[in-house]
Amino acid sequence: MTQVLDKPVELRTPVSPAERTARRKALLEWIGVHSLGVAAALFFTLPFVFVFLTSLMSDTQALSRDLIPHTWEWGNYQKVFDTPGFLTWWKNTLIYAGLGTVLTVVSSIPVAYALAKFRFPGRNLSLMLVISMMMLPPQVIIIPMYLFWAKQLGLSGTLWPLIIPMAFGDAFSIFLLRQFLMTIPNEYLDAARVDGCGDLRTLLKVVLPMARPGIAAVALFQFFYAWNDYFGPQIYASENPGAWTLSYGLESFKGAHHTDWNLTMAATLLVMAPVILVFFFAQKAFVEGVTLTGVKG
Amino acid sequence: MPEVMPKVIRKTAFALTASLALLTTACTGQSSSGANDDASKDTTINFWHAWSAPSETKAVKDLIAGFEKAHPNIHVNVVGNMTDDKMNQALRTGGDKAPDVISSFTTNNVGKFCSSNALIDLNPFFKKSGVDPATTFPKAMNEYTQYDGNRCTVPLLGDAYGLYYNKTAFEKAGITNPPKTWSEFEADAKKLTIPAGDGYKQLGFMPDYHGWETTTEHYFAQFSPTYFDTSGKSSLATDPAFKAGFTLQKKLVDELGGFQKLEKYRSKLGDEWGPKHPFHTGQVAMQLDGEWRLGMALDAKPKFDIGVAPLPVPDDQADQYGKGYITGTIAGIAATSKKQNAAWELVKYMTTDTDAVVGFSNAIHNVPSTLEALKSPKLKYDPRFKTFLDIAANPNSTTTPASINGGQYLVTIQQFGYDYESGKVTGLDAGLAGAAKQIDTDIAQAK
Amino acid sequence: MSTITLASKRRRAALRTLAFMSPWLIGFAVFFAYPLISTVYFSFMHYDGFRPPSWSGTKNWTYVFNDYPYFWPALRNTLWLVLVMVSLRVVFGLGVGMLITKIRTGTGVFRTLFYLPYLAPPVAATMAFAFLLNPGTGPVNAILDKIGIPAPGWFNDPTWSKPALTLLALWGVGDLMVIFMAALLDVPREQYEAAELDGASAWQRFRYVTLPNISPIVMFAVVTGVIQTMQYYTQPLIAGKVASGVIQGAGTQFEPGYPEKSTLTLPQLVYNLGFQRFDYGSACVVALVLFALSMVFTAFLMRRRGGLNLAGD
Repeated sequence: MTQVLDKPVELRTPVSPAERTARRKALLEWIGVHSLGVAAALFFTLPFVFVFLTSLMSDTQALSRDLIPHTWEWGNYQKVFDTPGFLTWWKNTLIYAGLGTVLTVVSSIPVAYALAKFRFPGRNLSLMLVISMMMLPPQVIIIPMYLFWAKQLGLSGTLWPLIIPMAFGDAFSIFLLRQFLMTIPNEYLDAARVDGCGDLRTLLKVVLPMARPGIAAVALFQFFYAWNDYFGPQIYASENPGAWTLSYGLESFKGAHHTDWNLTMAATLLVMAPVILVFFFAQKAFVEGVTLTGVKG
Repeated sequence: MPEVMPKVIRKTAFALTASLALLTTACTGQSSSGANDDASKDTTINFWHAWSAPSETKAVKDLIAGFEKAHPNIHVNVVGNMTDDKMNQALRTGGDKAPDVISSFTTNNVGKFCSSNALIDLNPFFKKSGVDPATTFPKAMNEYTQYDGNRCTVPLLGDAYGLYYNKTAFEKAGITNPPKTWSEFEADAKKLTIPAGDGYKQLGFMPDYHGWETTTEHYFAQFSPTYFDTSGKSSLATDPAFKAGFTLQKKLVDELGGFQKLEKYRSKLGDEWGPKHPFHTGQVAMQLDGEWRLGMALDAKPKFDIGVAPLPVPDDQADQYGKGYITGTIAGIAATSKKQNAAWELVKYMTTDTDAVVGFSNAIHNVPSTLEALKSPKLKYDPRFKTFLDIAANPNSTTTPASINGGQYLVTIQQFGYDYESGKVTGLDAGLAGAAKQIDTDIAQAK
Repeated sequence: MSTITLASKRRRAALRTLAFMSPWLIGFAVFFAYPLISTVYFSFMHYDGFRPPSWSGTKNWTYVFNDYPYFWPALRNTLWLVLVMVSLRVVFGLGVGMLITKIRTGTGVFRTLFYLPYLAPPVAATMAFAFLLNPGTGPVNAILDKIGIPAPGWFNDPTWSKPALTLLALWGVGDLMVIFMAALLDVPREQYEAAELDGASAWQRFRYVTLPNISPIVMFAVVTGVIQTMQYYTQPLIAGKVASGVIQGAGTQFEPGYPEKSTLTLPQLVYNLGFQRFDYGSACVVALVLFALSMVFTAFLMRRRGGLNLAGD
């Protein structure tokens, strides 16, 4: 009756049954989706949690079925760091991944550019060959390559057989970059040519700045690949502990520590951690890169 | 357009031919190095070994220190934790970083090392130094360090396998002596087994081939089999010792609860090198293991008395009780080594100097590998360890022969064992014949 | 005069192409073509790394196809992995991708959590899973036992080892999830709205709107999945080694494909033949089989896929 009792304008008019069922459905869907999400999140994160918890257990407790450590042995991480060779593995992996990535990017860019923007006979053939190189499992050519590096050049026991080939382009990087470069409109290139730029300058001054996301993605993938590589170091570096990488060293760590699951899990986390950290800093580039490959590949 | 294609093609063709030329030169065998070095000059040699545990690597360091004291002009670069695969690779590639002296945990590759000349024949070196291997090393050890007259390796400490038993459990079950024959062994194992639920409170013996040391290799040693006939073909199907061994093991598996139940129990047991080893915890009353287990078991301070005895023998070989399986670490000199004389000094010291061998054996708790060392008063050991020394010296003790493709035949036999004990393969005769054929084919492929 | 300029222009173009393509041209010749030809060459030779290679004709080929006990199991495993692991990964990746697009609160957090396992290095991830799924001491079986569900032997059981590997692969499905997410978000809303107006059910909307729009991405996921499966090496090898508990160098031989050849893959055979048995010739035979299979699969899948945007420009 009075103004005060009048319902404010924002209040809705009474809901119809149809709306009510629709809203209930939406609520159920929200609950369902989020429960599934939580379940999935558990699936994806629990392994990390268990590994972390185990890494903090004492030697004997790690062999039991307990889930929570009784004592929190942070010293386990120190023990892993003190393991002879652990820091060397870090150094080697950084060199392999870092140097390899730089070499790959520098050598793949001109090739990708040529495949994207030049017109020449044999271009389609070259592209097909690049693609077939992408599909090639490394084990197919390992025997002659190993004999070449080890017997001919005496480079076994080092990581050079893995790094040097990266100076000659990497098929996957070339392909990805090519797809990306193709999306750069030719008008920019024409404008540069009109300004008097040669091919190299066009590439460096005009194209590269625009290709930054693609280059970042390719660099990240290559870094990743080298960081995670197990087969390569197993073949070439295994005879020289001074050349081991983290992946290979981690496996031998288990061999030397047999059932020290707590130490092994600590080492495992230490190997996983840097990549995850890099991801947090370069999230955008990562996700963009992965999307690039899927959508444009 | 015509100008571009030929250029591309020409460039590729050039690269290809250059590579093919490289390829042909890559196929050379090894450059022979020969023993031309002067062992009295100052030099450094590389020694690769397989030990990795901290106590073991320290023992190796002490051994090398003793050598460097006796030969101050030879410096030794020691690299540990080197498995056979890695050593094999390094032996093939040679180079400065490659080892001059290697020591491997297994005798399996001796055949390969000798026949392919990866390691040099040491007979001339023995002669020059006036040492006779036949009178220096135990018989079985002499056997497993050579192949076809070529002695390319030397024993560096040995392993002997015996039976560990839980004396307290024996008393409880009313057994007074460890079993001497297989029938006694089977009966004891059954007596000592106390089932509980779908597992066991105490298992008399874990017979599965997957059970660490209960491999076909170790089991069948008690049956004194002949692995290869005079023509080099596998006698797996023809020597009755194998059939007897497989049959008796399967019988034991079935009588102790069946393969599935045993495997389930085994998967719940602790690790071989960890503190919860089932023998230490009393979950298994008898254990087939090597001499190193004694030290480990004592360290674990179990709640029972540990007994050690030779493994039982088949009923029809009862008079041979006391024999066992012998194997050991071997050492050799790489053919690519340019310092073979200096390398020989190290090998000679490590493997024949009695005090060095005794000291090393005391530190690692392995069986010493020379007859002199076996008798040495300086040997320090738990009285139970003497069982292993006796097994090592026993002339009836057996080992597995060297073969041109290494231990591949042992893998084949072991794989067949897995299939047979699990019931996957039921026809024993046909299975043995099949495995023998596989062994022969693999050897033919390696020739 | 114009002809001279044209010819010199052509030559400049050719030189330019050569200059830009040179890294790859050298790489292709030295690191692809040459080794491939050598592999064919070595497959007919007997070579053990010590004595010089000698001609052995088809001996290696007969050995691998008839007498090498690991060859056919490895092929069967590869087929299993391609059919089961790849398809499950694609389906699960799509499912998780769809799930993420429907989550409104905290999308970023969920997305990050789902993606993280993909970043774990294969050796580390496999070891972690081998520990988690350890039938005796692992937490998974501990929990299953508490709930009362029969706990499988995972990496120690021949029937469960490949499913365990698939579980590991599903854990790392983050990369597929991200590309599916992007593809799903790209589907024009109007099409969904139109379908809803037409009264289409959720399933019908999925089948007639979503799927056609994302099918290129699905195809891409399948192709890359098959390529990865051809190269599947590290995870089965590490899983077998860790699960079998064989201590390296202790004299016991490592049994490839533990348990019971169930985790064997062709790349592992190349390593076994070449770097454990040192039978380089037979290793090259397996390498060629691997090569042929890869080419066949990719040719088959690429044909279906249609244009690769080769023309461009």
